[in-house]
Amino acid sequence: MLEIPSLIWQKTKTSYIWRSLFRHGYPDSRKNQSLAVFTNVFLHLHPVKVRRHALAIPYTWCMGGLSFFLFLILTLTGTLLMFYYHPSVDGVYNAYTDIKDLETVVVFGQLLRNMHRWAAHGMVITVFLHMVRVFYTGSYKPPREFNWVIGTLLFFFTILLSYTGYLLPWDQLSFWAVTVGYEIARATPAIGDEFAFIFFGGFQLGPNALLRFYVLHVVGLPLTVGFLIAIHFWRIRKDGGITGPL
Amino acid sequence: MTTPRGPQPFAGQEKRLRLLAFVRQDSIVRVDKRVEDTAMVWPHLLVIEFIAAMLWSIGLFVIAAAFNAPLQDHASPDCTPNPSKAPWYLLNLQELLLHMDKGLAGVVVPTIWLTFMAAIPYIDRSREGVGIWFTSPNGLRVTIFAAVFATVGTFSLILLDAFLKAHGYIEFATEHFPGGKQLLPNYLIPIGVMLGLSFLLVLIVQRLYAANTREWMMAIFTGFVAVYVVLTVVGTSLRGPGMDLFAPWAVPATHQCLEPSK
Repeated sequence: MLEIPSLIWQKTKTSYIWRSLFRHGYPDSRKNQSLAVFTNVFLHLHPVKVRRHALAIPYTWCMGGLSFFLFLILTLTGTLLMFYYHPSVDGVYNAYTDIKDLETVVVFGQLLRNMHRWAAHGMVITVFLHMVRVFYTGSYKPPREFNWVIGTLLFFFTILLSYTGYLLPWDQLSFWAVTVGYEIARATPAIGDEFAFIFFGGFQLGPNALLRFYVLHVVGLPLTVGFLIAIHFWRIRKDGGITGPL
Repeated sequence: MTTPRGPQPFAGQEKRLRLLAFVRQDSIVRVDKRVEDTAMVWPHLLVIEFIAAMLWSIGLFVIAAAFNAPLQDHASPDCTPNPSKAPWYLLNLQELLLHMDKGLAGVVVPTIWLTFMAAIPYIDRSREGVGIWFTSPNGLRVTIFAAVFATVGTFSLILLDAFLKAHGYIEFATEHFPGGKQLLPNYLIPIGVMLGLSFLLVLIVQRLYAANTREWMMAIFTGFVAVYVVLTVVGTSLRGPGMDLFAPWAVPATHQCLEPSK
């Protein structure tokens, strides 16, 4: 009896369809392990081999990778949240009642919102810690100078993503927290009013600000961050992977 | 004519140029790895990534199941909570703007700081200590000194500011300072303090620890991290109504609405 599943497995692995999907055998040999990494679009971000030093957890604490992982979780939970959200201040369907519905009506809506919220806070922390790690290990040094610049931009955009998302529930907490930022923006020397007008869509927080923050939060900023992440990762590869002692 | 061994060039291929021949090794992949120092990504790195992702997924799931995201009443422009606070990761800026001009604290200082941060690799160009935490034992000493210096300094300045303001500093400045309460207290003194203490820190580590460029850069960066954390903590947990300073256990609850008569 036992040979039947084994036979099916053998048949599957040698079938035309399977071999069109995977162009290598099970990764238990050096050759197949290499092929598994560089013939796979997701894994080919990695080189086939890394320095042993790069595997040491106390060296990186996985902070860069976890930032990216949280970004993926935020994209996923955020997309799901978008199904239940109208970026509108009042009316029958509005932001605040949508959030209330998430908490009371939508199945697992509260959990979804909580995950998005805490992952966002987590990402601010991991990105910051990643930056601290990169600095103290001197990983910005040649040839990685420009990748550090991209990293500082990513830090800035992470804060901005978190900040734009903060307004979206349109409750007292978010409204007044963003008002603080609005007052700061208006205090920009020379171009304060113009800057606040463009960024917030008016001279007070209202429907325009909510819509602008929503568009920035779900389209503009994630695309920018995704674009910068791609360059960031590509440059890590081209500069020889994670730093280590020379 | 004897054909060479190995794969034969197909028609036209011998005319192609190999790009790599024209690119200096320096600018493309530079992987200086010896065979014995390397590990296969599959399985060694992927296992670590997988475990890290699983642990964080579970952790996030547990946190999300245990703690609800806050949601207050519907936003109302007529009802100002006291204090109104920014999200915690911006509370450092909000804390800073209690001590100087809004535009200076909220826009100019962070912009200059981000620009300076981005410029770090162009100031410290040495390749010394790449891949080693704190570069050297001396680097670690500089880091600890800078952390203590900045933490104590920031706390003291915040306390000093609260003390002076409680004893009529603003009224005094309005009456006696040139430019009133704007020029000196809101611009020149804070700028002087921020720049002065930064330079002082660099001078001290150069004198005490014979710091080189990398090491004084570490002192400045550490100083920033410490100030950033201290300001965040003070703004988050020590500021109550009116953004006044309170002991962490005695911060009164936020008043949800200012009384309309005030």
